[in-house]
Amino acid sequence: MKLLLRFFIAIAGIILASSLPILIAGWLQGEWRWNIYFESIQTTLQELWPIHEIAFFNYRAQRPMPLFPNVLEYITYSLQILFLALLAAVVVSLVLTVVTMLLSEKSRERVQMALYFLESIPDLLIIMLAQLAVVLFFKQTGILVSKIAAVGDDRIYWLPVLCLAILPTIQLYRLAMLTFQEEERQMYVDLARALGFSKVYIVLVHMFRNAVISVFFQSKKTMWFMLSNLFILELMFNLPGIMLFLRDNMYPAGFLVAVFSFFLPMFFLYSYGEWYFVRRMRGKGAV
Amino acid sequence: MWKQPYFVIGLSIIAFFLVGSFVYEWIWGNVPRQIYYIMEGGRAVEGAPISPNWQFPLGSDEFGYDLLGKLMLGAKYTILAALAVGAVRMLIAVPLGYILGTYLDKHRKWISSLADSMHYIPLTLFAAFVLTPVLWMPPEGFTNTIWERIGIQVVIMALLTVPIVAILIANEAALLLDKEYILAAKTLGAGRLRIIRQHLYPQMREKIAVLYGQQVMETFIVFAHLGLLKLFLGGTKVSYDPMFGDPPMSISYEWAGLFGSTFRYLQSAPWLPLAPVLFIGLTIFAVSLMMEGYLRSKNPKVKKLRKAKVEEPLVEWNREQLRHNLVRIKEQEMVKAEE
Repeated sequence: MKLLLRFFIAIAGIILASSLPILIAGWLQGEWRWNIYFESIQTTLQELWPIHEIAFFNYRAQRPMPLFPNVLEYITYSLQILFLALLAAVVVSLVLTVVTMLLSEKSRERVQMALYFLESIPDLLIIMLAQLAVVLFFKQTGILVSKIAAVGDDRIYWLPVLCLAILPTIQLYRLAMLTFQEEERQMYVDLARALGFSKVYIVLVHMFRNAVISVFFQSKKTMWFMLSNLFILELMFNLPGIMLFLRDNMYPAGFLVAVFSFFLPMFFLYSYGEWYFVRRMRGKGAV
Repeated sequence: MWKQPYFVIGLSIIAFFLVGSFVYEWIWGNVPRQIYYIMEGGRAVEGAPISPNWQFPLGSDEFGYDLLGKLMLGAKYTILAALAVGAVRMLIAVPLGYILGTYLDKHRKWISSLADSMHYIPLTLFAAFVLTPVLWMPPEGFTNTIWERIGIQVVIMALLTVPIVAILIANEAALLLDKEYILAAKTLGAGRLRIIRQHLYPQMREKIAVLYGQQVMETFIVFAHLGLLKLFLGGTKVSYDPMFGDPPMSISYEWAGLFGSTFRYLQSAPWLPLAPVLFIGLTIFAVSLMMEGYLRSKNPKVKKLRKAKVEEPLVEWNREQLRHNLVRIKEQEMVKAEE
């Protein structure tokens, strides 16, 4: 019930945001256009129903495009890249964290310092360097590792996923290191060590279970950051995804469709995760 | 704070860009030097865009303007705007957060889930969506001045994430409000305003400073992203001439514009888009250095905690006594065994 309420409040927030440019444009002229704002929200909502008839004019294809199935293809492609990158980032960062936790205190500190500063690399730089590197490699050896730009409706996967995953990996890695170190100070770790369990076992089994929960709750910000990155990535690689599609449809209905296509899966992912972890914490007490 | 090497290095990088930007304009005027080709032995060896060499450390753009000069001229716009966005955002979000955390604590839950919906809208996309009417030049030209537009852009970008930052502060404040000393202060008759001023604000000063740094870093990134979308700081000059239209151009030499308008040269003249992004990265790095230095100066015990193996005289004495007694008991046992 609570979840449903939160779901509707979030939807209301997104809908309110979708017509904001009208208010801003009015504000620039020095007047409050509340009426036009609410009218725009109303017409936008009417456009969205019935859902089968939504169509956007597409500049690539030079014709209007219905939401089903054409635009849906864009959406699935974007979501595929997003979630593949997320999965890669989570797995890699957790593996690296576990490995680093086994190191000595001093080298851990160094790793954390390096991570802190690595976080300040702009995502644009990573994408551009990756594209340059691929071309350079191609010129040197004649092997094309991956296409650096999609033509038409081509789908390229691994290079965009790699570019998208690097920064979130660094962020999650640092976050996980902080939570694991926090966890290490808990009493049960001392107890387990006193009982003679090996360091690997304690980190992997006991600490991992508890730390993962708080990493999950803090990962929302990383996800938000990834969405912006995905947008830039699609532009720079010219990927046929929903973000690029949106750039050609910068009006309220297009904005709503694009945002909802991310909002729905992400909201369910997070709600399910929260529900699962909260239940586990309540059911077992402190592990 | 001033003794922390991290803080000083970070500050000097930013100060270098800012001071350098104004000094450059003061000495050489606001147009960078221009060169069309490089002569070598009486022959032109390279035309614009010229690749980086000793005379032009970062090369020149497609019209022969010195890129380093452009970057230096643009530094002040980008850096000052980012600092201003962060400052405006904090100035609005901090009081709002405190009000939410103290006066409106009952409504905090649903307001926070409303603000939470922001987390599903990519920030760059939202900024581009909202800023397009402000920054994209209409066919009849801009009606306001560049400084007005920069001001409007700063305020709008600041407002975009105010809800998220305010909720963050409100939650933090609500956590602190449960502490016992706040209860004691309340019992002694302190009003809410006094609690905010005397207890909450001093407690959170460091967190607010770090949050400010993060906001500035985030703003740099969003500026760069907007540059890629051809929405430049202070407006985009668009040529509506159907035949000989120039590509969209930035009005000042700010970094996002330098990057966004040269991105298509990535393969042919990689220094053109790379240099502005590198400069942005360097500035972000400087901000994170300053944050780290600031934090270290505030909690120096981070380092000392590990050396907490302080020799305590009482413990030592006890240990000595124990050893002594053990030895005595052992001796007694040995005597007994001999008997």
